[in-house]
Amino acid sequence: MNNLIEFFKKAFHIIVLAVLLILSVVMIGKSLAFNDYRLSRAVQSIVGPIQKSGRGMIHRFRLGPENEALVQQNIELMREHENMFLVKEDTILTEMSTPDSTNTKRVRMYDYTYAHVIFRTTDRAFNYMIVDKGSNDGISRDMAVLSPQGVAGVVTDVSPNFATVRPILHPESRISAVVTPANQNGTVIWEDNDPRVAYLEAIPQHSEINIGDSVFTNGFSNIFPKGLFIGTVKEVQVGNNASFLTIKINLATPYSDIYTVYLVENTFKAELDSLKANFKNE
Amino acid sequence: MNNIIANILRFLILLIVQVTVCQHICLFGYMTPALFLLALFLLPLELPLSLQYVIGFATGFVVDAFAHTLGVSSFACTLMMFVRPYVVHWLNGSNNVKFENIDRPEPGVKDFRWVLLYTLILTSLYQLTSILLETMSFRNFGHTMLVILGNTLFSVFVILCVEYIFHSRSKGEI
Repeated sequence: MNNLIEFFKKAFHIIVLAVLLILSVVMIGKSLAFNDYRLSRAVQSIVGPIQKSGRGMIHRFRLGPENEALVQQNIELMREHENMFLVKEDTILTEMSTPDSTNTKRVRMYDYTYAHVIFRTTDRAFNYMIVDKGSNDGISRDMAVLSPQGVAGVVTDVSPNFATVRPILHPESRISAVVTPANQNGTVIWEDNDPRVAYLEAIPQHSEINIGDSVFTNGFSNIFPKGLFIGTVKEVQVGNNASFLTIKINLATPYSDIYTVYLVENTFKAELDSLKANFKNE
Repeated sequence: MNNIIANILRFLILLIVQVTVCQHICLFGYMTPALFLLALFLLPLELPLSLQYVIGFATGFVVDAFAHTLGVSSFACTLMMFVRPYVVHWLNGSNNVKFENIDRPEPGVKDFRWVLLYTLILTSLYQLTSILLETMSFRNFGHTMLVILGNTLFSVFVILCVEYIFHSRSKGEI
């Protein structure tokens, strides 16, 4: 008996070793076996949250480059959108042309670039933003400024390296817009000093506007392409002026945390402006 | 007592660094340092052998849990802990059989050549076992060997750096 105990005392560590090694092999086998996930699931439920938070911390350092790549990708996608092009139909039919597509041609009308907001105000009566690109980067006056969520403003002033943007949150800002599905054209203005809310003017009283209807740009201004999101209808009132409705809209752009903006250039702007210069104003 | 706390602290710190930082390093696409091995290397040799195995197994298990390779590191660490006393024997030469405090496998107690060989042998054993267990095949064996070699060298480099940096600060007491 004593001998047996002695033997166990001596061999104890070998037994422990064997047990542990066998345990490891069993675990390897289990995780290799295709349909037994119980152990790995149990471990994952403990480790997962820790790993996620650690991963998040490391990921935060990589967000910058990743963001730039996504912005690039966005611009490439947005450039291919239909409202970027002027679609023309060739009036002169050549013999080779077939009915389907050869006699239409797409001409690029709008082009995109991007910039980062380095200064902004939202709580004043006259608000401004400054972005980190200027005339050296091809930014010019009257370029449209978009946030990832929707319309943000218009470039009003350009220096070699920076540009001033007049956001919707400015009393002089006027953006011609269309409200769907009523399909009525109006103008978005800003009055209340509330960075989240603007007004949609000049919508006739007979039109059926519901709360939650979307407001888009209509492309009349030759600054904004057609069909960019501005916001949703928040409130509809019959105003003092009997012929128009007073419509409050929620702006899509979160001005308080806007960082990356897209700038849109109209390549035909000079041409269109020269035509508009001949309009007769009363 | 002080020694125990120091050991536990070292384990915790090295394990946290391993699972949060080292495991995400992938030099040239395949070289990941196994810094946590340092905690096992510095474990006092006079601990009961079975306890050493259990500690090795537990450490490996934690690393496995974060790397989604259940069992692989546990096996390799346990095996390494089993081999460790024999490596120390061999490095000491046959005249020094008993594990005394003087046999602490630490810089300051041992010279650089000793520490380097000790680290190199045990790390390569760990990497060989764990990577072979992980791939579970001899296909593309050349690449597997390259991974083992790269991992071993990178691990040894990182371990020795950490070991010597922190050693010199605390003057002989790690």
